[in-house]
Amino acid sequence: MGSPSSTQDVFDVRKIRRLIELMNDHNLQEMDLRQGDMRIQLRRASDPVAGSLPQMQPVLAPTAPAVAPAPAAPPAAAEPVEDPNTTIIKSPMVGTFYAAPDPDSAPYVKVGDPIGRDTVICIVEAMKVFNEIQAEVAGMITAVLAENGEPVEFGQPLFRVKTA
Amino acid sequence: MFKRILVANRGEIALRVIRACREMGIETVAIFSEADRGAAYLDLADEAFCIGSARASDSYLKIDRVISAAEVGNVQAIHPGYGFLAENPHFADVCRSCRIEFIGPTHEAMSLVGDKNAARSLARQIGVPTVPGSDGLVEDKRQALSVARQIGFPVLIKAAAGGGGRGMRVALTEKALESALDQAQAEAGAAFGNADIYLEKYVEHPRHVEVQVLADTHGSAVHLWERDCTMQRRHQKLIEESPAPDLDDSARAAMCAAAVNLVKAAEYTNAGTVEFIVDRQGNFYFIEMNARIQVEHPVSELVTGIDLIKAQIRIAAGEPLPFAQEDICCRGAAIECRINAEDTTRNFQPCPGRIEKLIVPGGFGVRFDSHVYAGYTVSPHYDSMIGKLIVHQPTRDEAIACMLRALSELRIEGIHTTFPLHKQLLAHSAFAEARVDTTFIERTSIG
Repeated sequence: MGSPSSTQDVFDVRKIRRLIELMNDHNLQEMDLRQGDMRIQLRRASDPVAGSLPQMQPVLAPTAPAVAPAPAAPPAAAEPVEDPNTTIIKSPMVGTFYAAPDPDSAPYVKVGDPIGRDTVICIVEAMKVFNEIQAEVAGMITAVLAENGEPVEFGQPLFRVKTA
Repeated sequence: MFKRILVANRGEIALRVIRACREMGIETVAIFSEADRGAAYLDLADEAFCIGSARASDSYLKIDRVISAAEVGNVQAIHPGYGFLAENPHFADVCRSCRIEFIGPTHEAMSLVGDKNAARSLARQIGVPTVPGSDGLVEDKRQALSVARQIGFPVLIKAAAGGGGRGMRVALTEKALESALDQAQAEAGAAFGNADIYLEKYVEHPRHVEVQVLADTHGSAVHLWERDCTMQRRHQKLIEESPAPDLDDSARAAMCAAAVNLVKAAEYTNAGTVEFIVDRQGNFYFIEMNARIQVEHPVSELVTGIDLIKAQIRIAAGEPLPFAQEDICCRGAAIECRINAEDTTRNFQPCPGRIEKLIVPGGFGVRFDSHVYAGYTVSPHYDSMIGKLIVHQPTRDEAIACMLRALSELRIEGIHTTFPLHKQLLAHSAFAEARVDTTFIERTSIG
């Protein structure tokens, strides 16, 4: 195992191994996952036709050409698109991500919305306290990277923002 | 029994707890800082959450984040390991308030024994011998001088909130005492946030002997015999062994019984260690109690055959101890060497870096508890201990021979470590003849 990575490793070997286990457990032929502009495809060599694809997020940002499909083997890491005018808003705490103030309301922000430093962009609930998270950057939301109701860890990417 | 436990620690003790849980069929949630991301032991947990950046104060010490991780990870209990939040009564209290069991004592018992002065008072009340000293905190210089004259120089100034061998100063004369008091208070305030100090008679050439205890929540308390941790450098333990060599059987029995009495008087539950110093005449004196599982717990595990981490988990789950005192035997002799990433040629300067090669010894009676492997990078943000080498043999002489053999097989390349020093210490005749005291390394300037 290598030394601790200093970048956010969205597709680390541990997660990829779990995805493969999931595929085997549920007899899936293909898995196509996207997060921001990272994408991973796992496909079993024996079956060229895709079964039902569990998609994690609607694709809202341009995706980079990703991974060479391999027969149940971990593919090479995806290449993220580097844009000097984009930044990632990361979670400042551990908790549960909520996109909206409550289940009946619209999300705080959606792709294309302009934001200022003080704009509340989401809630991270921790220890029964609903913490409103401010953007701390100005720009426009280009991607929502976390799923409503999912646990997030410190440093986990939540939103992609175009700053210029 | 718990279905899921969060391990609120890192490195070798996190791995130790995860191992016990896996054997018991308990799921684990690990936490890690950004400096520990990618460490192999994290893969052995069922889930792992990043809880902050490298500095401990931004991660492992952040109570709110640890509890958040426990909640999103859906655990029923938290094992704190040692260090970090293990002896933080507020953390223990917060866990239980959040309906998460804390695998350790109640926060009240932890506060009591963690206050060294209060613990000493309790010991005196129940007739456990303590080192002659001030009857409580020392408020001013006049009082300090009067106590020192009474108990006799040299005296030891100790921080009430100190621990781990820190916050202590020796004063040999009245003049030295005056300046030492100011310094000790300033240091204590800075290091522990509490400038309270007290005085003890400085026992010269002491041996450090501690007793491992276990107490359940049904009123049963036992000891798992003693460990001798005399071989230290600047109050940091290097080598630990059980049983304590050359210790009178009646002194051993009295010391262990005293430890159990203290545990009962403090209404202490779960695992803990009661520390004593033993003078040249074989008299023992209580100094402090540690309300946690300790680094050197494997030494006691090997001589008694009892898995202490599993015992901790079972006690926290409300189970009664499955053994009585008469069932706990001390068989053979066990020795542990703490391997630190330090450069012994440069005053034990911490030596972070990438481990290029690692060959771990094996064989009959050899145990290596460590989270490191070839390719692992030791980071500068945490303490320098990278592993513990422990051996268990039928006699002490055989244990020394086994440890020397195991140390000669151990290869760690890429960073400096302390195990060459251990070879020298173990091969020294004074160690074999149990003629060492806590100042041995400084006096003989080995290493």
